[in-house]
Amino acid sequence: MNDSDVKFPYKEAGLTEREAAAHLLNRFTFGPTPHEVDKVVHQGLENWFLQQLSAKNNDDELNRMLQGYDALTMSNAEILKKYPGNAEIQKMAMEDGLMNKDSLAKGSQNKKKLMNDYRMDNGFGTYKQLYSQLINQKILRATYSQNQLQEVMTDFWFNHFNISLAKSSYGMFAISYERDVLRKNCLSNFEQLLLSTAKSPAMLQYLDNARSTGRNSRFGASKEETERRIEKLKNDTSATGRNMQAKLERRLNSGLNENYARELMELHTLGVDGGYTQKDVTEVARILTGWTVFPALREDDPARVKKLALFDSEKSKRLGFVHEGDFLFAINKHDDEAKTVLGKKFPAGGGYGEGLELFHLLATHPSTAKFISKKIAIHFVSDNPPQSLIDKMAKTFLEKKGDIKQVLLTMVQSPEFWSKDAVREKIKSPFELAISTMRILNTSSINRPDVLNRWITKMGQRIYFYQAPTGFPDNAKYWINTSSLLNRINFGLAVTSNRIPGLDYDLAALNDYKEPDSPENALEVYCKLLLPERDITSTVKRLTPLLNDPDLGKKVEKASKENVSNADDDSDDQKPMTPPTKKKTDNYTGSLSFNNSSSLKQVVGIILGSPEFQRR
Amino acid sequence: MFGISLGGVPTFVARAAESLKQNRLYKKKKILVCIFQRGAMDGLMAVTPFEDSFLKSARPTLFMEAGREKPLIDLDGRFGLHPAFKSFAPLFKEKQLAIVHGIGSPNNTRSHFDAQDYMESGTPFNKGTTSGWLNRAIGVMGHDASPFTAVSLTSSMPRSLYGTNEALAISNLNDFSLQVRENKFTQGLVANSFEDLYDETTSSLLKETGKESFDAMKMLQRADVKNYNPSNGAEYPKTALGKAMMQIAQLIKMDIGLEIAFAEHSGWDTHVSQGTLQGTFARSAADLSNSITAFWTDLGGDLQDDVTLMTMTEFGRTVKQNGTGGTDHGRASCNFILGNDVNGGKVHGLVKTLAIENLEDGRDQPVTTDFRAVFSEVADKHLLIRDNQILFPDWKGNAIGVMKS
Repeated sequence: MNDSDVKFPYKEAGLTEREAAAHLLNRFTFGPTPHEVDKVVHQGLENWFLQQLSAKNNDDELNRMLQGYDALTMSNAEILKKYPGNAEIQKMAMEDGLMNKDSLAKGSQNKKKLMNDYRMDNGFGTYKQLYSQLINQKILRATYSQNQLQEVMTDFWFNHFNISLAKSSYGMFAISYERDVLRKNCLSNFEQLLLSTAKSPAMLQYLDNARSTGRNSRFGASKEETERRIEKLKNDTSATGRNMQAKLERRLNSGLNENYARELMELHTLGVDGGYTQKDVTEVARILTGWTVFPALREDDPARVKKLALFDSEKSKRLGFVHEGDFLFAINKHDDEAKTVLGKKFPAGGGYGEGLELFHLLATHPSTAKFISKKIAIHFVSDNPPQSLIDKMAKTFLEKKGDIKQVLLTMVQSPEFWSKDAVREKIKSPFELAISTMRILNTSSINRPDVLNRWITKMGQRIYFYQAPTGFPDNAKYWINTSSLLNRINFGLAVTSNRIPGLDYDLAALNDYKEPDSPENALEVYCKLLLPERDITSTVKRLTPLLNDPDLGKKVEKASKENVSNADDDSDDQKPMTPPTKKKTDNYTGSLSFNNSSSLKQVVGIILGSPEFQRR
Repeated sequence: MFGISLGGVPTFVARAAESLKQNRLYKKKKILVCIFQRGAMDGLMAVTPFEDSFLKSARPTLFMEAGREKPLIDLDGRFGLHPAFKSFAPLFKEKQLAIVHGIGSPNNTRSHFDAQDYMESGTPFNKGTTSGWLNRAIGVMGHDASPFTAVSLTSSMPRSLYGTNEALAISNLNDFSLQVRENKFTQGLVANSFEDLYDETTSSLLKETGKESFDAMKMLQRADVKNYNPSNGAEYPKTALGKAMMQIAQLIKMDIGLEIAFAEHSGWDTHVSQGTLQGTFARSAADLSNSITAFWTDLGGDLQDDVTLMTMTEFGRTVKQNGTGGTDHGRASCNFILGNDVNGGKVHGLVKTLAIENLEDGRDQPVTTDFRAVFSEVADKHLLIRDNQILFPDWKGNAIGVMKS
């Protein structure tokens, strides 16, 4: 499609250009920043969207903020080296003679200290540091990236192809997974995206495909041979001996694992009603036997050079091994017999190639087109998107061979996207709520993303830790319940009462330092600023009594003298690393009883906690 | 009741008040309390088959004896309770406490994450199950929903409670309040503003949930959870689990519709220096048993009839101790079930001698009771959930008689 042909039918749906711009911003960014509606209108709605689709805006400022996070630019091999797990630390410390059986046995405290010392002395980081880099960068990117749609789509696909940091054996791969697999392909082509997830160590480990082996593989030690070796090691109680035993026992117990195959069809492509059977699941699992993580991935693994030479050798290639970066197709673990999936025959001896064919089959299947289109429509349009819209998107999906940009363009050019049933009908997830708050307040720095993250967790979304492969459910009912709602309300109040350390924003600046001439005026001005292009009459009406009590000042004063504070301190929030920056609003002088900054903050806090701000 | 449920759908508080008048419906509800022991408890140390010579020789520095002047508490001539669990002994004697030994998952994974995931989803061979078994239980009990029907005393929702039925994850009941750092007057003003705003919104979900949130908040405020005094001289350990159990007791006493409570207890992954009388295992065991018995004492006679408590852990540990004075990931473990309709005072399940030929993969206590047999029996007998296919879709086995019939 030619760019100039792109046209958004919002007028037909009865929206003004400004309302349409606000709707675009609500759906394709993590929330509008102040006056962003003006900018989008000025640029032209279609132009703005096309620019977001190309995701080439300058992000130098964001990148400067991320400079201190070293792991964000590391490969998996480098991360494994710099951030080894406890088992590796222990192994290295023992090899260096700094720990031995006795020091390990003396008690866990001592062991912890020895291991921490070893980490510090050698400049190794911990998983905790690694994960907090991942979490912090997500918060900063979502808040500050100029390529908002790219971040929204990265978040969307992460949730679609979910992995969880709860399991430490692959958590360290999440940084590369998000960066090299998801962000890189988030607006490209679905088949390419799918295939990248399939070959990533994160997914291979999370859904166990890495250890799925075929019964009919051409190579590999026989069961008897393995049993014989275990028997020989029985009396060897050294660490190496025990590790070897465990490894051999795992080999003995290994076999076909269907976890990935099932989720690949149920969650990633066809959908649960996509027309496949349990037999198909088993057959897909057989095709994907041997799809695994390159062994000796760690950059300084002593075995790495040898393994690289081995798997990159001409002989290995001839045998059918495929090594690409972190991925290895191990033909010796591959079930090489014939298979049939969804009626399509895969003849014996297909090797790595039959896997590629399988992904093509799944990625271009009509059920996949429908399933993915629906999921996109649920995220961007409404919890119950009209079938007519899904059909249009699915048609584009098939015609344009899974081109994600084209599917989005079809969606946003459909009247259903702009209909009254869609506008402000999505409820923000806790993450979206937190980030949209940062954006609408024009927060210039977030010094403690970790505290923000604690609030997001409290509101019901522990990002990167959702355990099930489904990802977080994408509907209002999941996010809104009695406690999450209360926490959402408290979040707004916490932001404006400086209870989230390290946030730098300036309420007076939002109104260009113009002083509202009355409390009513201030209320209206800030409602308009924080809820651009929304109907604010009811919010204003409901909050006016808060300002109009003639004795308000006296009552507040009296009550504060009594000093009966029932407010609960957020005792789990540690002291900020940097003292909270002095807010310019502290010197804000408005007028009347409303003019003191704490009243203004309170009103802003209430607007942030209002039902209208929960919607996007 | 609080002067705000004027018209419209009666809120859960109004319904609660109503039901208190009519036959106290909520009172009749049964409550299941689950504690997940994360990290995999060594069942063979918790409840030791102390006459097993194979175990004795496999654990040169970890094995303890039972009998006079010996540390283990002899339960039945064959099994001995670790001394740190001593507060369990009277409960066992009074037949309120049952133990199932050899319990575990049919899936032989020894990964904490996977094993917990399977146990909590209730489907040991399917990772894709979206909901947890306890969440599915909420859906089939058929009582009026309260925001406190299912409560997890954790900071984020546990896998067991994932799902479409409303559940609450809250580590501290005090968080269930409007956090305005001013005086009571301002707090009241702010609260009124929010109530008005949510009452007015066009989104029915936000409107109804808003109403319930404010009602629930007021209810907790009235109950004054901050200044709670346990009954019957119960003393909770000042630990995370102790606090969680105390809050569960508070919720039960408030009588606000609690049916499922969940707490978790970490620290059971004893690879190193597991210890015997003292050490990491003993510390965890004392915390667990003291928290549970304090909770039980606090409830007292009447309320005990309504409650069944069950512990669970993802797998057990190797029969043989390892080179660092601990044990590694194994298969079967044991669990504890406490309640008045429990078939107590008995160690249920099948534990053969731990000779190598009786072990799973030549190293681990074999799983002889599928965890689903026990979980579903408890749900069936205590919560009266007859349709086990909803809780455990692939489960076709039989109950083992851990509950009174």
